[in-house]
Amino acid sequence: MANMVTLTIDGKPVTVPAGTLVIDAAKQAGIDIPAFCYYEGFSVQAACRMCLVEVEKMPKLQPSCALPAAEGMVVHTETPKVVEARKSTIEFLLTNHPLDCPVCDKGGECELQDMTFRYGLGESQFLEIKHHADEKQWSPLVFYDPARCILCYRCIRVCDEGLGVAALGLSYRGVSAEIIPNKGDHLECDECGWCIDVCPVGALTSGTYRYKSRPWEMNYVPAICTHCSNGCKTTLSVRNGEIIRSNNRDRSGINGEFLCVKGRFGFDFVHNEERLQSPLIRKDGKLEPVSWSEALKFVVSRVRETIERNGKFAVIGSTRTTNEENFYLQKFARQGLRTNNIDHHRSGDVITLVDALAGRTDALATVGDLYTCDAALVLGADLAQQHPLLAYQLRANWRHHRSPVFVVTPGPVREDQYAARSLRAEAGGEVERLEELREELKARQNLVVLYGASVKGEAVRRLVAFGDSLGIPVKYVCLVDYVNSRGAVDMGLLPHLGPGYKPVEIPGMHLDAMMAAPDLDVIWVAGANPLEGGREFASKNAFVIVHELFLTETAQRADVVLPSMSLYEKNGTVTNVCGEVQRTKAGPKVMGTKSDLDILGLLAAQLGFDIGIPSQEKVLDEIRRTVRGYNVPLPVLATGGAAQAAVLNGNVPVDAQPEQVRPSGDTLFTSGTLGKYSKRLAQLMEAPGRLFQP
Amino acid sequence: MTLLAPPHPLEKRVLLRRFPEPRTEPVWIDEYLRTDGYEAIRKALAMEPEQIVDEVKKSALRGRGGAGFPTGMKWSFVDRKSPKPKYVVVNADEGEPGTCKDRILMGYDPHRLIEGVLIGGRAIGANRGWIYIRGEYREYIDILDRAIAEAYERGFLGSNVLGTGWEFHLSTHTGAGSYECGEETALLESLEGKRGNPRLKPPFPATSGAFQCPTIVNNVETFCAVPDIILNGGEWYAALGTPKNGGTRLVCLSGHIERPGVYEVPLGMNLLTILNEIGGGVWKGRKLKAVIPGGSSSPVLKAEECDIPADYDSLAKAGSMLGSGATVVLDETTDMAKVLARLMKFYAHESCGWCIPCREGTTWLKKITARLEEGIGSERDIDTIDRISQSMLGRTFCPLGDAAAMPAMAIARKFREEILEKLSRADAFAPVEGAQPLVVL
Amino acid sequence: MPKIQEILKGAAAIAKGMSVTIQEMMNPIITDDYPDAPPVFQERYRGLHVLQRDDNGLEKCVACFLCSAACPVQCIYIEAADNTEQERISGGERYAAVYNIDYSRCIFCGYCVEACPTDAITHGHGFELASFNTSTLIYRKEQLLAPLPEGATGKVKLDHPVAVGDGGH
Repeated sequence: MANMVTLTIDGKPVTVPAGTLVIDAAKQAGIDIPAFCYYEGFSVQAACRMCLVEVEKMPKLQPSCALPAAEGMVVHTETPKVVEARKSTIEFLLTNHPLDCPVCDKGGECELQDMTFRYGLGESQFLEIKHHADEKQWSPLVFYDPARCILCYRCIRVCDEGLGVAALGLSYRGVSAEIIPNKGDHLECDECGWCIDVCPVGALTSGTYRYKSRPWEMNYVPAICTHCSNGCKTTLSVRNGEIIRSNNRDRSGINGEFLCVKGRFGFDFVHNEERLQSPLIRKDGKLEPVSWSEALKFVVSRVRETIERNGKFAVIGSTRTTNEENFYLQKFARQGLRTNNIDHHRSGDVITLVDALAGRTDALATVGDLYTCDAALVLGADLAQQHPLLAYQLRANWRHHRSPVFVVTPGPVREDQYAARSLRAEAGGEVERLEELREELKARQNLVVLYGASVKGEAVRRLVAFGDSLGIPVKYVCLVDYVNSRGAVDMGLLPHLGPGYKPVEIPGMHLDAMMAAPDLDVIWVAGANPLEGGREFASKNAFVIVHELFLTETAQRADVVLPSMSLYEKNGTVTNVCGEVQRTKAGPKVMGTKSDLDILGLLAAQLGFDIGIPSQEKVLDEIRRTVRGYNVPLPVLATGGAAQAAVLNGNVPVDAQPEQVRPSGDTLFTSGTLGKYSKRLAQLMEAPGRLFQP
Repeated sequence: MTLLAPPHPLEKRVLLRRFPEPRTEPVWIDEYLRTDGYEAIRKALAMEPEQIVDEVKKSALRGRGGAGFPTGMKWSFVDRKSPKPKYVVVNADEGEPGTCKDRILMGYDPHRLIEGVLIGGRAIGANRGWIYIRGEYREYIDILDRAIAEAYERGFLGSNVLGTGWEFHLSTHTGAGSYECGEETALLESLEGKRGNPRLKPPFPATSGAFQCPTIVNNVETFCAVPDIILNGGEWYAALGTPKNGGTRLVCLSGHIERPGVYEVPLGMNLLTILNEIGGGVWKGRKLKAVIPGGSSSPVLKAEECDIPADYDSLAKAGSMLGSGATVVLDETTDMAKVLARLMKFYAHESCGWCIPCREGTTWLKKITARLEEGIGSERDIDTIDRISQSMLGRTFCPLGDAAAMPAMAIARKFREEILEKLSRADAFAPVEGAQPLVVL
Repeated sequence: MPKIQEILKGAAAIAKGMSVTIQEMMNPIITDDYPDAPPVFQERYRGLHVLQRDDNGLEKCVACFLCSAACPVQCIYIEAADNTEQERISGGERYAAVYNIDYSRCIFCGYCVEACPTDAITHGHGFELASFNTSTLIYRKEQLLAPLPEGATGKVKLDHPVAVGDGGH
């Protein structure tokens, strides 16, 4: 960084790049200047006047959030004059604040409470009647209490600048000023709920968390959101084994504070009353609940019998189980059941990309790269709908660094709002239009390319060739759909590739072949729903074993249903769309369920398979030792970080089977099976008005 | 339309020079051209833009909107070489209680304003101007619109101003009734079609104003002074007033005065002279109690403090300000608690709500003073008013907080005894005998 | 002689002893006749908790969790719920749907009473808590609530408008 300036804050010399705000410079020096309206990463308001500081040679107190640091500036942040100003600001704020802390959801984690403790006066001289306005419900999830609002405009800014939704605004004036939603009395927005999280007081409250608990009553569990593939970290607030809310106020993950509606509110499927809590066995054509030991014994006997008569197995894995479970599942299938008939629902052509980029370093982008890259190219994907975090990162990059975004999609997308160029191309034909962008892309320092499921097979190779011809560093992201879709590929839930893209000797059946094969004896579905939408297995007489959370179409066809845990209930690692490995921890508990790893481990022990100890740590250790690129540093995982798996160290000399790539077509408010069992997401889909349209 | 009073011998009419007689009809273009109208712009078009700015600098003209910033300096801040378009905005959002000068200027001599804007536009190289006028001035909007149409017809406005090839367009823009929009950045926000919140400064409008382009924003009276400065030279104009306080200014006399109205006086005339000679003294032969010398946001002066020259610096020295030139006279029967309450009600109503000290402070002041007006309260309340005002002063986002705090503090300090006496009176609730209704707005 | 002396000594000792007894017999009785008669408590005795009601019979508790936060032995368990327009349980926005005190843990320290912002929880004078079964020592809200005042139902329908300060918009 050129152009550094040195200033003195409370006697400490601080050197920062020119243009840094004094409040940030102070933070760097370890001095906390209190503020309500200042919010890192969003536009400066200078409205709350809490961050006033005394600057030598300036007659008035200056708002440090709007004051760029200058050479030789001398700043004092705790002089009697400053403290007095803060006290009076707090006093002003409290004049019309209802002081209903005992019934306010924010009580205990309220910034106004904290500030009042730090600066506030013990008593008030305000003798008048407080201004009051009634609480309003803006959507099933968002409640607004104008009386508590201190008008810091954080909510307006995250909605407008952060997400590009701009659903909130300011109305009326003076003491009557309040935040208003975009549709008069209700909101039409992404329902991401970020406005609720950033509210420093209890003015915006969440319809799901309202009155449920208090901050000190809950345990906080760092987990990875189980919905889309972006791998946002979400901190689950768990009370009595139940998730009460989900947010990420400590900005600890790759997503900072960002979460979409699914991450913040889509956790309620965990406690859906339709959750399976006991194994089911088909008796006389009906699924009857039985004990775990009976169910396992039944499975063992049928599997052993099939092995003995050399029957045919098929295994369908999940895109929502952990890497450890996927790894163990493929080991169970390949070494235990002795079959390569293993596949999962593929939603992006990762294999071709890995082959096309083989041998390179730094060719796969991370989520962080999307914020720092000099330009981004989006092909055939509606990021705002399917990859909210990636969309947010690109928008933030444009907002802070003016990095252009180029879009080639079949239909209009939200990135069009600010995209440097938006081209329309039929699905599958996106790569054809790239030549039109060549000159503009060439002029940039570097580029990140994100492509959706419609770009597959040869198109991926052509895309990489195009990227190479630009003469600038290009990184790629192959967009996939679910939380561990990428991990499932890396862990070898594939008929022709083992873990780490290692080709197997005799390739097995892929998913379509399994569905069409008439002679399978046992179909093992570990957390997937291949029969969704009325599809059927061609093997009518196959014995079907299903690990599931709910009685899905596939589970209804099953002969044995084993109730499994969702990602929120177990420990393990998952790999996000950018190949970043992150650890997730178990939060809530649902009685009667077992993790897929436990289920497979118990069965392996009873079947006498020697495939290793089914403990998460042991399996992770084996993955790190044996799967190429997965030797990720443990301290990074342990401290909640994300470590990108380096999978590009070798060719993949097999057919990538691009025809097996099928996008799930989820939107911001759907999430495959889990979305169907989330009442809250269902409720939002029914809400009046246009919730989201590109 | 308000009748323009006949000139008083002590007046020095420059801006109002076309009105030696009382009249009701505006000066339309033919009459304007007969009386050296649009001569100044012809002269200015022959000058270099820098010369125009220099001439204005020499005139020591200071902004007449309230803050009194030197106009020439403001214009010189605009980067003429900027590739962005430049804009001229007239602040005709005359909202300061007691102020009524701009409407006289716009209502009687609309072409003078248009000519001033043209010169300003020429000086900074602008091609577009707006007159941001308050919506309540319906009558004056119509007059300006007609005058603008006349100017377009005669080629003073349009894509080829007076055949020089310079393009300049002007139109009126109606405000929606907010005092806050008289603050220049809030005015620009409102002009852009947004909520009238003030903007963070810097950047100042001269570098990033309307639509993020270099913009000059000046008061109607300021622009109206420009044609005569160009015609007669900056030195001539500066000589009319005192050093650093060039020219004449309009005073709006209102309140308890014998001859209320708008008068033009040289800067630096004694305040008492203005009141007693031009204004004919306090009405009904009563004694003077206090004067609000520059619009409601200027701290009140007690009768004994009024013997000072009415210019920017002298009033500042006396702890008040010249502001917009609205002089409100209060006679001996005035209930100062009532004055205070009325002013605070105004500011609480007009606070935009953007920053905490102003939003909460003005409301709190309003509630306390409304109580004091009723005679309910104690000495502690007066201390609280003082404390709140101090907490607001200099800590708000825009000057509106100061505008509310300064008069509150001044009245609470200077008339503390009177308010205390009122609070202690048993019949505090009864109206004061002979008190006249105070006309401020 | 020694014998007489011994007798006198004995008599003196008895007299001394009896004098204490007789003296004490004159003093007022301070022990209670419990269990034959109900015991008498000091006003501030900390016994079984009582969840108070307001004049309308509404519960005072607004489920703010401050008592359970203050409790050094974590014996208070609360689940909050929302008052609806149709049915009001408490005076505030929310009420305690579940309010349990585990008397096998409670140490009767009174911190909960001090923490309560609405004076909802108080110490009553109940003390007969002994039980042969510890599971009966978890008292539910229904057991802790004060009886309804005369004529009150404990439920109020909100039919009056909420007073609103001068708005101005």
